[in-house]
Amino acid sequence: MKSLKNHIAVILPLFVLLFCMQLLFSINTVVQNYEKKLTDGYVIMIVSQKSLDENILKSKIASIDSMSEISSKEILDRLKKDISSTNLSLLQVALPKFYSIKLKKLPSQKALDGIKKEFQKIDSITKVETFSQTYSKIYKMFLFVQQLSSVFVVLILIISVLLIFKQMKIWVLEHQERMSIMTLFGAPFWMKSAFLYKLAILDSILSAIFVGLLFYYAPQILNIKLFFESIDVVFPRFDLVADLGFLLGFSVIFSFFIVSFVIAKMRTS
Amino acid sequence: MENVINAQQITLGYGRDEPVISGVDMQIKPHEFVFITGKSGSGKSTILKSLYGDIVPLRGDLNVCGVNIKNISNANLNLLRRYLGIVFQDYRLINEWSIEKNVMLPLMIGGFSKGVCLKQAQKLLKHVNLLHKADKYPLELSGGEQQRAAMARALAHNPVMILADEPTGNLDEYSSELIWDLLKNAREHLGTTVVVVTHHIPPDISINYKHYFLESGVLYEVS
Repeated sequence: MKSLKNHIAVILPLFVLLFCMQLLFSINTVVQNYEKKLTDGYVIMIVSQKSLDENILKSKIASIDSMSEISSKEILDRLKKDISSTNLSLLQVALPKFYSIKLKKLPSQKALDGIKKEFQKIDSITKVETFSQTYSKIYKMFLFVQQLSSVFVVLILIISVLLIFKQMKIWVLEHQERMSIMTLFGAPFWMKSAFLYKLAILDSILSAIFVGLLFYYAPQILNIKLFFESIDVVFPRFDLVADLGFLLGFSVIFSFFIVSFVIAKMRTS
Repeated sequence: MENVINAQQITLGYGRDEPVISGVDMQIKPHEFVFITGKSGSGKSTILKSLYGDIVPLRGDLNVCGVNIKNISNANLNLLRRYLGIVFQDYRLINEWSIEKNVMLPLMIGGFSKGVCLKQAQKLLKHVNLLHKADKYPLELSGGEQQRAAMARALAHNPVMILADEPTGNLDEYSSELIWDLLKNAREHLGTTVVVVTHHIPPDISINYKHYFLESGVLYEVS
């Protein structure tokens, strides 16, 4: 019973720590995906008296991802019936060039104003339409959640580390007598501490597996699935190899470091 | 033959300003059986602690098995202790381990295979009449049985020297006799040097021994 309590005292904070980390990664991925979706659907329209060269434009405005010319043929075809061919030819010559510009990432309003000014500096450009409603409310909410969860994760990290430290200290104290007896018979450091490392590694593996299973199965629960669909969000799929591998690696290294630190600290004191 | 223990004018204590014993000279040859006696609090255990490097002499030179204890590194201290067998009055067995595993400890530290450790542990447990209790835990045994197990542990790796601190202090007659027999046999049959710290030398001990007496922080050799 005591042993179980000891394990839970490490597994629980480690679980919370890993859960928060994985949640933060997932939120970041969701925000990135959503941003990409918004960026893909977002264009700036520019009107120019002359043809524009994409490379020259890109060298002036670094945030441009691609530029495509909007053909005026369709508009002119519609006017064919109402206008004489001479006038149509004149109109074709006089008609400015229309371009659609895609950006590398969705800009903030301030950045967008800057981009607009840059375009306006180019002589041939007569009109720039930025469709200033750049951020949807849901995107703003995602950004807010992302920031908030970062702060939350840092706080949880500090609390978890303190709790794990405390528990490791209890372990070391509990096993101090055993360690001192082993010292009397000339046991090397690794042998004396092997038991503590084994406990720490076992608990970190268990915590990582619990978090992995939660992130793997939870998004498959119907209610959670429906919730994400309702807010037009695709929750990132938990990769049982890469993501669980990362969690396991982090968890084991983290607890290994804490055990070493606590033992070293208690040895010097 | 080179002394196993060579102490020259050593001062021992737990703080630089609080020496417990000073000016100790002690030479112990291989295969000797040595008693260090004295009143409670006279510093007998302090001398023993210095012999297994638990405390370092404040002054003077102390060599154990050819190793200078004063400037010994942790790694060398560990190595030295692998040549020693230590017995304490309070047994110092690992309570979470079975008796068998406790006896195996010095062999495990020595890097022997599990099979060798197990075989040797069983042999020694049989020797101290505890084989039938090999899988019991220390707290399930009587004081005498625990000390016998501790004795088996001290002998498990055929140490060069056994250091025993009041080994029969808390024991009944049967266990005391068994402990003394084991110590005598270790010296006679294995050639182990034995240093015992005790209040009284058993009157019926039939062995040649060297006797040091400690009084008021000074060690005398009793002829």
